Amino acid sequence: MNDGLDLRHDVLDAQLVDRHRENIGRCDTVMLELRDGRPPRVAAILIGGAVRDERIGRWMQALRRLVHRGEARSDGVSRIPFAAVQSIGDTIQVDVLRDELPSENVERWLAERVVCHIPGAQRKQEKQKR
Amino acid sequence: MKKWGEVALGVVTSMGGFLEVGSIATSIQAGAAFGFQLAWALALGTISLALLMEMTGRLAAVSGRSYVDLLREHMGVRFFLIPLVAVLVPSFMVLVSEIGGVAIGLQMATGIGFQWWAIPIAFFGWLLLWRGTFKMVENGTAILGLTSVVFLVAALLLKPDWSAVGAGLIPSAPDHDKASYWYIAVSILGASISPYLFLFYSSGALEDGWSVEYLNVNRLTAGLGNLFGGGLALTVLLCSAMVFMPRSLEADAYEQISLVLASPLGRGGFSLFLITLCITCFGATVEITLAGAYLVAQGLGWPWSENMKPARDARFAATYTVLIVLAAVPIALGADPLRLTNISMVVSAASLPVTVIPLIVLMNDRRVMTSHSNGWFSNIALVLLALMSLVLFLAAMPLRWFGGA
Repeated sequence: MNDGLDLRHDVLDAQLVDRHRENIGRCDTVMLELRDGRPPRVAAILIGGAVRDERIGRWMQALRRLVHRGEARSDGVSRIPFAAVQSIGDTIQVDVLRDELPSENVERWLAERVVCHIPGAQRKQEKQKR
Repeated sequence: MKKWGEVALGVVTSMGGFLEVGSIATSIQAGAAFGFQLAWALALGTISLALLMEMTGRLAAVSGRSYVDLLREHMGVRFFLIPLVAVLVPSFMVLVSEIGGVAIGLQMATGIGFQWWAIPIAFFGWLLLWRGTFKMVENGTAILGLTSVVFLVAALLLKPDWSAVGAGLIPSAPDHDKASYWYIAVSILGASISPYLFLFYSSGALEDGWSVEYLNVNRLTAGLGNLFGGGLALTVLLCSAMVFMPRSLEADAYEQISLVLASPLGRGGFSLFLITLCITCFGATVEITLAGAYLVAQGLGWPWSENMKPARDARFAATYTVLIVLAAVPIALGADPLRLTNISMVVSAASLPVTVIPLIVLMNDRRVMTSHSNGWFSNIALVLLALMSLVLFLAAMPLRWFGGA
């Protein structure tokens, strides 16, 4: 493992966690930056949204277009600069906040618009933090 | 010595988790139609489940990650859809059956039709998930589930011929109704080795914060818990064999099934059966709902934990909410719970290759398992399990066609 980072094994599909070790999805693709006269370098990790749907297949992309038709919204993809990576192990920790990511739009919408209006959503005793 | 308490609790949990609508119904059907002859299927199912639980528990304790998490990482998002659907569909069917089990129990206890109970049951299940912690779900259902010990008492009172029971533990071909015999055998295996059981177990290991030091706890929980659980299911089969078979009663409706304890225990036996049915099925309802949400959340990399506030893992909480509400619908519309139980056990059995075969790779991946990867014994057992799962996959549907009543 000392001979570098295996992007396919160690990064692609790995669980990503934010600054507070909260799950923020899985790495759906890795982007390289091509630079004139210099070797390419890993630029960003992409999570969720249209990128994930593209990996799943055409039917999923079609489904996405159907759900989001007529909306000029973001594609729901979180683009995390590789420079934000803090550690790579069982999970990849990146120096971002879950609440700032476009791929967490659905989570935020559900939490704010639905879950928080149901009694008890805030009151569970959190015994252990994973 | 806190760990010994955990072992005891874990054993009780797996024991209580074993008995649910599927194992109760299939054990009773087996006993009524074939006496002790199908006891081997129960033994085989129990050993298989114990092995799978030990492995998925070890996987979680060593890697700090759940089986689904690792499965998703190795397969990529596209191929992960196969186990996702192959586990979600049968688990959902079993979930509907469990709600049906509680509903039927309440119908027989109160006289109010089972359809009317589906929504209240789903609501209480949801409330427990919404407000409770993992420990509450795990221990509450386990300790209440101890009522299932009544089957052991009843079986002992009926004084079975133990040499005949022993003979039943050795597989033998039937002399009548061959298709029905193998169909029930597959149903028993499907009921014993439900994928949701070991997925729930491996996530539970993480909810309880297991690490490498818990490998012995894991071994004892998986081994003893299933030994006792399978033993209890065996006593259900014994009761049925001694009560129904001599009278050539067919256990094809819950009204008859509920009489299984009436002959050894009298009028109280009927009530005890209903209580046990309701409690064990309710426990399974909550566990399957949670297992479904774990599966989706871990696969997609969402935050998940039954110990978190729903507001912090909104998608996870929304998933279990939708699952349990949807599962109440077929019962509320009047679907026959027993028929559904039988179908879902067979579908469950057919889905096993998808969850069993990838384990061979993961349990031998030293990057994941470090020095705790499978030894030769576990590997031989796992390969045999994989082969058995393929046989079940191929045999399940044809047997449903020819052997299903």
